[in-house]
Formats: sequence, C-alpha cells, structure tokens
Amino acid sequence: MNLAVDLSIAAGLVVLAWRSLAGRDLFRGIVMYIVFGLLLAVTWARLGSPDLAMAEAAIGAGVTGALLMVAYWRLRRISPAEPADPSPRRSHLAAAVALLSTGVVAAIGLAAVGAIGPGGIAGRALVEALPATGLGNPITGVLVVFRNLDTVLEVAVLLAAYLAVRAVLGDRGETLAQPPPQVARLVGALVGVVAPLSVLVAVYLLRVGSYLPGGAFQAGAVLAACGVLLLLTGRLRATADAGPWVRGSLVVGTVVFGLFGVAMLAFGEPLLAIPGTWAVYLIETAMMVSIAVTLMLLFAGAAGLGGGRR
Amino acid sequence: MTAVELLATGMLVVGAAFYLAGTIGLLRFPDALSRLHALTKADNVGLLLVCAGLGLLSGNLREAALLLLIWLLALLAATISAHLIARRALADGVEVEMRERVPR
Repeated sequence: MNLAVDLSIAAGLVVLAWRSLAGRDLFRGIVMYIVFGLLLAVTWARLGSPDLAMAEAAIGAGVTGALLMVAYWRLRRISPAEPADPSPRRSHLAAAVALLSTGVVAAIGLAAVGAIGPGGIAGRALVEALPATGLGNPITGVLVVFRNLDTVLEVAVLLAAYLAVRAVLGDRGETLAQPPPQVARLVGALVGVVAPLSVLVAVYLLRVGSYLPGGAFQAGAVLAACGVLLLLTGRLRATADAGPWVRGSLVVGTVVFGLFGVAMLAFGEPLLAIPGTWAVYLIETAMMVSIAVTLMLLFAGAAGLGGGRR
Repeated sequence: MTAVELLATGMLVVGAAFYLAGTIGLLRFPDALSRLHALTKADNVGLLLVCAGLGLLSGNLREAALLLLIWLLALLAATISAHLIARRALADGVEVEMRERVPR
C-alpha cells in the first residue's frame, strides 16, 4: 500500500516535471510547476523531512509560483499575443544530455543507497553535539550553528537578487508594471483575517524552529506570502525608491549574522561561532525580516514599498 | 476495528469520494461557473469530512481543534478565490446557461 502511494507520487513528479517543461502553453507550464512543487512538498513529508516540506511548499510552490505568475502577466503586457512557438528547436545533443543526466543521477542515487546511514559520521557527530547548542531541531542546528557560513551566503544571495532587480530597473525611478489591485468587498475580509494570522504563524514558526520543524526560511516565506497578498489588494504599493526601513530590512539578516560571526573573533572564538540560544533567535528573526522583504520586493519588481489604499 | 475507527474511516472514504467527484467536475464541466460549482463541493464538504475523520482518529482534542481551524481557513480562502474567479469569468463574458432549470 505504502509502496503504491510512493510509486504514484514519484510517477506524478516525473509527469508534472515533463508537463511543466514540454507544454507549448506558458501559463499551463507555470501551473504544472506549482503543482510539481506541492507534490515535491508531499514527497519531503513522506521522507520524514517536515522542515523541507514546509520550505518547499512555501518557497518552491508558493512564492516562486507567485513570481512566475507575475512575470507571465508582465510578459503578456509587453507582447499581448501568445508567442507562436516558445519551445526552442530540438537539439541533437538532447538525447546525449538526457542520458548523461540520468546516469549521473542514478550514480548519485546508488552511492547514497550504499553510503553510511544517517547514524554515520557527520550525522552521529551532529546528534552528539546538538544538546550542547541548546537546540532541539537538528535542521536549525545545522543551519545556524554547524554550517552557518552556508546560511549567511544564502541570505546574501537573496540580497544579490534584489540588487540585480535594482540594476535592471536603473536609477530612472521605475517599477515594473503592477497587476491591478483586486477591489471586491470580500477581499477586504480575507486580508483582515489572513494578514494578522500570517504574522502569528510566522512568529510561531520562528519560535518553534529551535526545537520543532520551522525556522527563519519558512517564517520569512509566510510573511512574504502575506506581503504578496497586501500588494495584490493594493494595501501595499511598489515604489521606485527604497526608504530607510526597507533598506534596513533588506540587509539586517546578513548584517546581524555577519556581525555576530566577526565579533566572536574578538573573544578568541572561531569565525561565525554562536554565543548562545538567544543569539540564534536574534539571527533567525533578522533573517526572517530580510527574507520576507526581499521576496516581496522581487514580486513587486520594485526598489521599495509604500503604504497603499486602505 | 472500534466504532469510532469505523466512523472515521467512513468519513475519510466519503470525503475522498467528494474530492473525486469535484475533480471529475472540474475536468469535464463546460464553463467556468459550473466548474467552480463542482470544485467548491470538494473544498467544503470533502475537506470537512477528511478533517473530521482525521480528528476522530487522532483521539486528541488539540489536534482535532487544529484540523477544524485548517478547515475554516481553507474555507475562507476557497470562498474568496472562487468569488474572484467567478467575477472575472462574468466580466470576461462567460455564457451562463440557465435555460433548462429556471422556469420562466
């Protein structure tokens, strides 16, 4: 029974991946990609990784889906006619590349099956060292304490993405075209209920992230989704220039994490050492704010955010 | 299998049947409004039955309350997105077929 469920999920993933890439209809491809992300989240959940499942559902399917949708909307505004044939010409290398990729993935899979299990070297060291950090969630332990250079760079990559948008927009005081705000009366009710609840859920995810599934990335994605809702309903407005609050929010994750890491050198600790659980909370909060604001600005295609219609 | 388990399993099966029917309707019905009509059945009743069945199986008041909250939130989101899609369909000029059901 379980095997049948897993096999149908795996087959569904392959079909959805194929449909999202091979279809001629761009819109249909985006929808298939979003469904692919949701099914991937189910896959992570079945593999016993609720952290990854949440991150995949919130960032992979949710926020990326919203980004692709708004990009599609802007494309249609630039050239309203559906492009005649968006799929590129078939390359002679396609079969060879496909075979090579399959071989590489199969080799990695076989190596992973034959490798030392989760109780092996790195995993055992992690589980043994985890109580010393005061954290109960090994994922947060890896992200913030054991492999935190990776995490600093991940937050920095988001900042770089914002700077790339800024560079494309230039200093001409532009924002990308915004979808018209939805003004139905019911939408106000939705925002009134969902916006405060999103903040509550984000804070909860951040708080439990130290000992249960959750953390800065999931919390930031939930806040960003709330921001997308506010942008789409006209409660927030894309602006051509970033105010001090937006600028501060964009860099606070990288700066707080970096400052902590460097400051520990003065106490004779190694680079990026974490002084305690309180520092984990502080860093995660700063990261959540940066992740949320950056994702919202990427969706808006704008340098900054301003208050909109009530 | 106890009576509670039997009841919960029945709810899960009937809920899944609602989802199946809603999906078939979404794929087969001719226009946007009747597709929405099919979809909302799966969203409302199907999810309620699945959540209620899981709540019974959990045997835990906190988990049951959380499942109820999930159902209410999904209901709110589904209602308003269906409303927005229907408004858009009407604005785009969908043909509302009422000729057989509505007596003149």
